[in-house]
Amino acid sequence: MASKVKQLFIVVIVVQVMFLLGLVGYRETILTLGRAAVLQTVPVDPRDLFKGEYVTLRYEISTLGQNSTVPNAKPYLLMGEINEGDTVYVGVHEESTDDSKDQFSMLHVQADKPSDDTDLFIKGRVITSKDNIITVEYGIEQYFLSEGRGVEIERADDVKVRVKINRSGTAAIKELIVDGEVWQP
Amino acid sequence: MKSDTPNNDSDQNNDQIATRSEVDSAVQIDQRQSWLKGRINQWRESGLISGEQSEAILNFESVPETPFRLGMRFSRLIVVLSTLGAILIGAGIISFIAANWQGIPVIAKLALLIGGQTATYWAAYQLQFIRGYPRVGGAIMFTGAAWFGANVFLVAQSYHLATDNPDLLIWWFIGVLPLAYIARSKAITVMSVAIFTIGISWKAAAQSEDEFSGILVMAMLLFTAAAIYAIGMIHLRRKNLNFYAGPYLVGGLLLAIGVTYMLTFNEIFRDISRDARTSTWTLSTGYIVLASFISIATVAALGFVARSSFRSKEHLAAKFAEPAVAALVVITGWFIATHLFESSAPYVVIANLLLIVLIFGTISLGIVNRREALVNVGIVFFVIDLSTRYIELTIDMLDTSLAFIVGGILLLGVGYGMERARRRLLRQFEMTEVGNGF
Repeated sequence: MASKVKQLFIVVIVVQVMFLLGLVGYRETILTLGRAAVLQTVPVDPRDLFKGEYVTLRYEISTLGQNSTVPNAKPYLLMGEINEGDTVYVGVHEESTDDSKDQFSMLHVQADKPSDDTDLFIKGRVITSKDNIITVEYGIEQYFLSEGRGVEIERADDVKVRVKINRSGTAAIKELIVDGEVWQP
Repeated sequence: MKSDTPNNDSDQNNDQIATRSEVDSAVQIDQRQSWLKGRINQWRESGLISGEQSEAILNFESVPETPFRLGMRFSRLIVVLSTLGAILIGAGIISFIAANWQGIPVIAKLALLIGGQTATYWAAYQLQFIRGYPRVGGAIMFTGAAWFGANVFLVAQSYHLATDNPDLLIWWFIGVLPLAYIARSKAITVMSVAIFTIGISWKAAAQSEDEFSGILVMAMLLFTAAAIYAIGMIHLRRKNLNFYAGPYLVGGLLLAIGVTYMLTFNEIFRDISRDARTSTWTLSTGYIVLASFISIATVAALGFVARSSFRSKEHLAAKFAEPAVAALVVITGWFIATHLFESSAPYVVIANLLLIVLIFGTISLGIVNRREALVNVGIVFFVIDLSTRYIELTIDMLDTSLAFIVGGILLLGVGYGMERARRRLLRQFEMTEVGNGF
């Protein structure tokens, strides 16, 4: 009986460690094998930007509008009905694509997972949906850094984020590009 | 090491058997002393003996503090010191890593975090299972369980995953709950119940629009309270799980009473339900699924408890009242979550009624099960509720200073009456002064 308890204890500890290593392995796989895209951030209220040990990131694709006349909303083609809480797939340009035509082509947002593997999509969750404008979170809205370094990002003119995206659309932050330079954490 | 294990096991078993018999005899002595005190007080009050005589008898019959009791006190000190020490070391390492987050290479970070957690568990394993130091071992194991939670958040942080995510708490809960049972640890059981409660309520808030999340979180807390209590009831009725029942029962009870008390305030209810119109009120699918799952699991557990009590010789009310009150908490949760009425009055009235049922249910449960701790909890909440309602009623009717004076006199009167009633109850039911376990 007692030895069974010891064995169970070891099993639980191994499962805990495997869980942590699994989490690490999953994110490392995205960072290593994922396709790269560079996302433009938009300024947020400085009071909200730096919260202790992380910065809050808001992207151009965080607010998406049906047409380009909507202020502060990146024009996107919304495909079908999209409601709050829905998982959506938002088209983004892959970093390696040089073709200037691609950079200006209209991207689209859809609720169904794209079947075409050639286009790059990032998966997100719709937070609000009103008048054909949606706000989306992608799980990459926080960037953690050492104490006291947040101010460097806060004062920068231009902040971009290089992300890696896997086949299912899950994104992971690779690095920050601050004023054109890769930011050294 | 293998050859050591059986000997150690047998030593530990012998120790446990010895400790158990010591506990039983100490409990018997406690009960006898308590009974004697009650009888002597009765004799004195009825004039059979004088105050001096009663004191003389009590002194004559008093039992010196046994080595066992001294040992128990010393053990508690060991547990407190060991837990504090282990937590300080863990917190130091984790805060060092957090402060120098990006300066440490990923591999070193992971080695420190996961290596530290494994080393903590290894030390706990050695002390608790191999070397026979269960108290220090248990304290270190508690730290290991806390360390696992910190690691879940720190690994998420190292990959810039949002840490304001209730799923991380749920993972932590799933990871540490089995440890509570394997290590026979009440502290880890309490930790698991607390993590589950916070995680599930947070999840409920995340499933709803921000401005209405207050109502839904409160309702989810009621579902959670009933679920935790129902789990505790199942534990209490199973001989091998009885040891873990306390944290579930106490946690569920306090959560139910606490949340219901909050909902008895008109202002609080209005504040959390501001702008929530019944005509446009909809529950998200995620919330419905989560709340339904918890409610169904709770009702199933309560059904199981009622079925197992069916053949017992207890009174019908005693058998089914407890599961019925827990079911009432679930129904109240749905009543609040569905938001059928625009006005806050029906909810506040229901919350007040439920609070009274919970308070008197707790006192009755304490009397039926002879647990003074429960009677005391019920009385404390009764006094709090009474004082609150008094202040609510008189705040606009009486001058503030007069209201305080009258309130103070009333409270003293109620306190005196309650103390007399409590003593009578304890004597009548020959209860022990302090609840053993739960």
